Amino acid sequence: MKVIAPNGDKLNLMPLNVGPSHGATHGCLRYFCALDGESIVATVGEIGYLHRGFEKMAERGTWQQVVPYTDRLNYCSAMMNNIAYCRAVENMFQMELPERTKILRVIINELSRMADHCICVAAAAQDLGSTTGFFYLFDSREMMMVIWEKLTGARLTNSYSRIGGLYRDTYDGFEEDVLAVCKQAEKNLRDVHACFDRNRIFLDRTVGIGAMKPERAIQWGWTGPCLRATGVASDLRKDEPYYDYETYDWNVVTGTAGDVYDRLMVRLAEIEESIKIVRQALKRLTPGPIDIMDPRIRVPSHALAYQDIESLIGRFKSVYEGVRVPAGEYYCGSEAANGELGFTLVSDGSGKPWRVKVRPPCFTQFAAFQELVEGSMLTDSVATLSSINIIAGELDR
Amino acid sequence: MNFFETLFPVLETKFNVEKDASAHWDHSVIAKASVLRDLIIFLRDDESSKMEMLLDVVGIDYLGFQDYEGPRFAVEYVFKSISHPGRRVRVKVFVSEQDLEVPTISDLYPIANWQEREVYDQYGILFKDHPDLRRILNHVEFEGHPLRKDYPAHRRQWLSTNDFLLPALEKRLESKGYKVVQHSKEVLPNEDEYLTGSIQE
Repeated sequence: MKVIAPNGDKLNLMPLNVGPSHGATHGCLRYFCALDGESIVATVGEIGYLHRGFEKMAERGTWQQVVPYTDRLNYCSAMMNNIAYCRAVENMFQMELPERTKILRVIINELSRMADHCICVAAAAQDLGSTTGFFYLFDSREMMMVIWEKLTGARLTNSYSRIGGLYRDTYDGFEEDVLAVCKQAEKNLRDVHACFDRNRIFLDRTVGIGAMKPERAIQWGWTGPCLRATGVASDLRKDEPYYDYETYDWNVVTGTAGDVYDRLMVRLAEIEESIKIVRQALKRLTPGPIDIMDPRIRVPSHALAYQDIESLIGRFKSVYEGVRVPAGEYYCGSEAANGELGFTLVSDGSGKPWRVKVRPPCFTQFAAFQELVEGSMLTDSVATLSSINIIAGELDR
Repeated sequence: MNFFETLFPVLETKFNVEKDASAHWDHSVIAKASVLRDLIIFLRDDESSKMEMLLDVVGIDYLGFQDYEGPRFAVEYVFKSISHPGRRVRVKVFVSEQDLEVPTISDLYPIANWQEREVYDQYGILFKDHPDLRRILNHVEFEGHPLRKDYPAHRRQWLSTNDFLLPALEKRLESKGYKVVQHSKEVLPNEDEYLTGSIQE
């Protein structure tokens, strides 16, 4: 492709396709660049390879049947999506959750956040050629996966949260397992920092690469660690606290330059903050009910259903008709690992959602991808792509 | 949550908006498409609101909605403020099936470019003066708009080849001041090559 550059130079550009099945395009996405030598002059992205019609499927079932679909949004922190969805629906009922549920959700949220950040930084390390860093991070993630397995029965697409409660209470030894993960994660973080912090190769590949200005990041709708890496201290857990996040002692991590290095380091530092929250939450965890006692919202337990007819009817009605969410429209955003995960819900007062719209955090980050990589080398685009943590499940829904 | 009570009368006199009665849990206004851009510029820049971030553009199809009378579609813009954390507002525009047109805000918020493409893709709502209104989540060869209520969820379509992104790439180059003098050709596989692959000896 022959072009004339703005300065009058005649260039012969090579169109190069990257993805959708490529080692660096995690999940499934594609970008198409015009290369001048090794540097990217222009690029356009294409998404949708993992589009499964989440929003159409959600309209066909009851409100509760959406919950397992939400695991498939960001499958690196599946339970966080359940919690965000359930929180949106619960807010429409304006209900107050039991204390134990709130604390458990905080623990699950923060463990998921740690797992998600571990994967993002591990994959980025792998893309840059550091298998050692990858395994240090996957070690603590594997311990979390074992907890998920004991807690929910599944490793990856696990759903634990329910509208008005949780799937079930924790198992014996949950607290010890979580504490062990925190301890191991801290150790692994020290090892990872030893790998990267003074590593010439890592620094050359990440510092100053794919930088984003804070004003521009806000215009692009960036949220979460990517926005915080540019220096904007925006975190829903502090700004609009829910589940008593304001009562925990932790800090919002911000970067300065908004480049690949900052994005990865903000994630590593957020793991430390999450460990702090988990430890405090474990101290507050006391036995108690995990579900609200309202058969119209949360399905009555088996023990009750076998004892009285009302609970039995409650179980039938809840499964067949779904919960009757009050009619209206509502947007509710929660701080997920990647940024603000929002649900716009439209209810017509029946047991089925009229419209469920997801606001996936990495959609906005990938939309800005061309601005990040144009003018830099093709190899830098790989480092940039892994630092913005694209999860194709929530990108394409 | 008091900011909206002071903000709303200003919006009401300036842009003739009304409160959205279905928003029981947050703040939403209904605007006419003709004032939409002015309203959004005001919301973004005025000191009293400072909605710097566009979170989402949502399409809604009300076909068959219980006790509903009015235009079939709505487009909803979800904003939040970064300068004043915790302030959010939604703006809703109704779109009738006959004109299906809303002015674009992709020049005001760069992210609206993709978000509007998604609404177009899923609902077929056209955004006037949008620079690049193509499908985004569905395949290029897809027919129809799947999130419309009259699109059957079980309908299947045969879709064959990838989106040929070169026109989009040339558009991008031109928007950056480059002038394309010689185009690359698209190599389309013939029918046999769909089975054997396009790379031959």
